[in-house]
Amino acid sequence: MAQAAGNLIEVTDLVVKYGDHTVIDGMSFNVRRGETFVILGGSGSGKSTLLRNLVGLMRPYSGCIMFDGNDFTQMSDHDRLEMRKKMGMCFQGSALFGSMTVAENVAMPLLEHTKLERSTIDIMVKIKLELVGLGGFEDYMPAELSGGMRKRAGLARAMAMDPEVIFYDEPSAGLDPIVGAGLDMLILKLKQTFSLTSVVVTHELPSVELIADQVCMLDQGGVAELGTLDEVKRSSNAYVQQFFARRPSEEGDDDARYLRTLRGDVDRD
Amino acid sequence: MTAILGYTGRAFLLGTHAFLAACSLIVDTLFWIVVAPLQGKGLRVRATVEQFVRVGYSSLPIVMLITFLLGAILAMQSAYQLSRFGVAYLVPNLVAVAAVRELAPLMTAILITGRSGSAFTAEIGTMKVSEEIDALEVMGLNPTKYLVVPKFIGTTLAVPLVTMVATFTMILGGFAISTAYLGQDPRVYLESSADAITMKDFVNGFTKSVFFAMVICVVGVYRGFEVEGGAEGVGKKTTSSVVTSIFLIVVLDVLFTYLFFSES
Repeated sequence: MAQAAGNLIEVTDLVVKYGDHTVIDGMSFNVRRGETFVILGGSGSGKSTLLRNLVGLMRPYSGCIMFDGNDFTQMSDHDRLEMRKKMGMCFQGSALFGSMTVAENVAMPLLEHTKLERSTIDIMVKIKLELVGLGGFEDYMPAELSGGMRKRAGLARAMAMDPEVIFYDEPSAGLDPIVGAGLDMLILKLKQTFSLTSVVVTHELPSVELIADQVCMLDQGGVAELGTLDEVKRSSNAYVQQFFARRPSEEGDDDARYLRTLRGDVDRD
Repeated sequence: MTAILGYTGRAFLLGTHAFLAACSLIVDTLFWIVVAPLQGKGLRVRATVEQFVRVGYSSLPIVMLITFLLGAILAMQSAYQLSRFGVAYLVPNLVAVAAVRELAPLMTAILITGRSGSAFTAEIGTMKVSEEIDALEVMGLNPTKYLVVPKFIGTTLAVPLVTMVATFTMILGGFAISTAYLGQDPRVYLESSADAITMKDFVNGFTKSVFFAMVICVVGVYRGFEVEGGAEGVGKKTTSSVVTSIFLIVVLDVLFTYLFFSES
């Protein structure tokens, strides 16, 4: 498949199933180099599953995910490992290794994948931590940090190998608005400084307003709307309208939808 | 009737699935121990030594204490029975043979299952719940190489060595009771013990302990990777890890006893 110029990730007809249950049903979109691509959606819309597929933690049932011109779903384990060095992921709960200090966490990918001198690695770790505003916290354990600091440390670790793309899983979930806004600014800063491509899964609307270049709105395993934030906001799709207006569903409606999703009866509005 | 058949079939399929998954974990682990280092992908020596110390050295006090007491109990119980037939002098033989062949390997394995097998499950399970295993994979690091291999090598080296110490302390327990309480001559006791044990007994005890070690590690790690959900999932799988591990150790013990001593 020809890679369109400027696209870092191309997802085509992606289908993901858990057993007989279809979670993602024929999804297609492209992520351009250097943009911040926001994946929006409610609970059960398949956004976490989509992210797990994008980073290769799950293999799709069918369809393809082209990463930098290579089909990520079909490549050998060795090639996949090489590809992963170009990706960083910032986990929802930070996923720092609890038995290691912050510096050891950030140094880990460098120690494992490069043959750099220890002193060089120490300097790189310092730079990455200063980049996310955690200079001086090298010797702290993850448990000693606040929620926002842990996320920033996770981001420093994701940045360790100078990746081309960073995937964020709900970066501001569970943080107070001020810390959450700080994290949004950090995502913007990284984009401006390093022309980083970012794929952000979230449902925090203020955050989307600030960081999104392109928004992909998911609903029940499919793409409900795709475009810039303004385009998506103008969509005639009832679910998209409801989402942006923060209008609650009729009582029981949401639960019935979720139950249908769990059962695998994917339906479209 | 249909329900019984359904239940049996389901249990069989789940059992087969677990067995195959555990086999695949073993093959993967052996690949990272044997083949990968030849391809220039090294072993994590420091982590392996840490595991060896944690599983072996740190368990020594409790293993030594319990096996010493067991040796003492065995001596007292057997002295009481054997003296009824006038053969109390056979106590050292009984204690030594039981310790070398059976009790020291079994007791050590059970104690290390409780100490380390459960810890493996809890550690890996918690890492899974907090997405740390996913983080390893996304960073391009293999969880088997990173987490399982150091535990596997550390445990497989530590358990047989701890078993040897346990054998010694168990015999010492019997010795202490027999000489201090039952009035046996210390030299005679030691000589009788040495005479009673054959090379075959040692080989049996040692080989068993190597396999017990593998069971402890594989079951602990496998149950850890099985964890789903949150803290409750970790708790459930840790319990199930200890139960499965002890069950398999006892089954393996029966098998070994049959293989080594069925014809004698």
